[in-house]
Amino acid sequence: MSRVVILGAGISGHTAAQILSRKLGRKHEVVVVSPNRSWNWIPSNIWVGVGLMKPEEVTFELKPVYERMGITHEQARAIAIHPEGDASSPAPYVTIERTEPGKAGERENVTYDYLVNATGPKLNFAATPGLGPEQNSLSVCTYGHAAQTAEALKTAIDRMRAGEKLTFVVGTGHGLCTCEGAAFEYAFNLEFEIRNAGVREQAKIVFLTNEAELGDFGVDGLQLKRGGYVMPSRAFAESLFVERGVEWVTGAHVNRVDPGEVHYETLDGEMHALAFDFAMLLPPFTGVGLQAFDRAGTDITAELFAPNGFMRVDANYTAKPYEEWRADDWPKTYQCPRYANVFAVGIAFAPPHALSRPRKTKNGTAIAPAPPRTGMPSGIMGRVVALSIVDMIQNGAEKPSHTASMAQMGAACVASAGASFWKGSAASMTMFPVVPDYERFPGAGRDLVHTTGEIGSAGHWIKRILHHMFLYKAKGRPGWWLIPE
Amino acid sequence: MTQPTERERDAMKPGRWVLFFRTCVVYQLWRFVWINLRMLRMIRMSH
Repeated sequence: MSRVVILGAGISGHTAAQILSRKLGRKHEVVVVSPNRSWNWIPSNIWVGVGLMKPEEVTFELKPVYERMGITHEQARAIAIHPEGDASSPAPYVTIERTEPGKAGERENVTYDYLVNATGPKLNFAATPGLGPEQNSLSVCTYGHAAQTAEALKTAIDRMRAGEKLTFVVGTGHGLCTCEGAAFEYAFNLEFEIRNAGVREQAKIVFLTNEAELGDFGVDGLQLKRGGYVMPSRAFAESLFVERGVEWVTGAHVNRVDPGEVHYETLDGEMHALAFDFAMLLPPFTGVGLQAFDRAGTDITAELFAPNGFMRVDANYTAKPYEEWRADDWPKTYQCPRYANVFAVGIAFAPPHALSRPRKTKNGTAIAPAPPRTGMPSGIMGRVVALSIVDMIQNGAEKPSHTASMAQMGAACVASAGASFWKGSAASMTMFPVVPDYERFPGAGRDLVHTTGEIGSAGHWIKRILHHMFLYKAKGRPGWWLIPE
Repeated sequence: MTQPTERERDAMKPGRWVLFFRTCVVYQLWRFVWINLRMLRMIRMSH
């Protein structure tokens, strides 16, 4: 009997656990180590953050689902991995620290035959002084943060109804943030709700982003065919901002958030301050701080993990300038180079480089959107790693038999711009591939037939259906496996 | 009259018909089907 241990129960970890459980049955053991007792459909946190959904609508308890699927759930956080075991035994293991009430802080070792690191990110609010819900800004990164943000929005709307004029700042709280798409969605849902409340005239909304231009989304922007022209996504994004009266500041690194004032540096090296009444600023991500040790107890963390805390996999990590980046730098199997039974998926794997051109200000401040690796690509990674492990266990495969490079996979993304059946809209985008490949697709870097985007109510309907469909799938309801990632 | 800012002048602005079709139920039902087919094709290419 083999034991597969999965660290993390986000989109990639949960997908891997479900597929492993279905394919391996009860002959083998699947263990999920997650510090949270609930599963969260994070894309819908945007709607929690404007008060349209309650946290219960975007979450469910993991334990009953895992019990039904024959998966062992350890409510704990992973502290360290020992891929060679230790002096007393060569069996690899993970040291975990329990987080469930009554056992919080207790440590124990969980042995494994295969390990999938799907820990996701640490929300690094500490990177920017004053950033975060415990200090001077809000967030929608977790359902708890989003609920707190919704309360703040309610208060702000009441103040505007009383005649006050308020400034809302939405965006990224650091020059190295990712998930600009989530900030974009929140900005337009906020605008939509303020308009619905009848106080739009009282609100100034500013989108503050580390993207060098709107529509970059951390993927170096898109080229789209429209009306016989090939146009940059910037043109469409700017069009929406102007239409909805949302101001924007691009190429911004937030260096401090004071109560009611955000301080930032722009790509030209100038320093600015912007007063606000409400600020939702996303934090940058780092790895969760997992450590690694060899059999002798020597710390090998620097070998297994990149300096940002994400795990190195089968990517080309040679440092090179933007002009020399290649699509085949990106990993295909997500296998750890040193340990064949260790994988990292989703946000937990270290990308070889960004997708957007990295920039520095004249003061040396890096302003470079980090590449997104969430949603559909994240789920697909979880799937291929699970299938490779199944092949290794059942058929004795020596190498991973399934691959899913982000340079060979596409992504479908629906960015909400207001939630209402009749008046709502969303930008529906597809891109192929996620990582631009200028050798295969000279000029645009992507296939212009399969890279598309449009705004309309249909996008909102799809986003709403996806919300229910993915919760159904994640709950392991009958036929869940028929729903693709 | 308020003059448009440079950014407003530079940006593409949707016309009346574009805005109408964005929330026109009949047209959006057609787009709903089309976008879903496009996404299914993307899913098939990526799995």
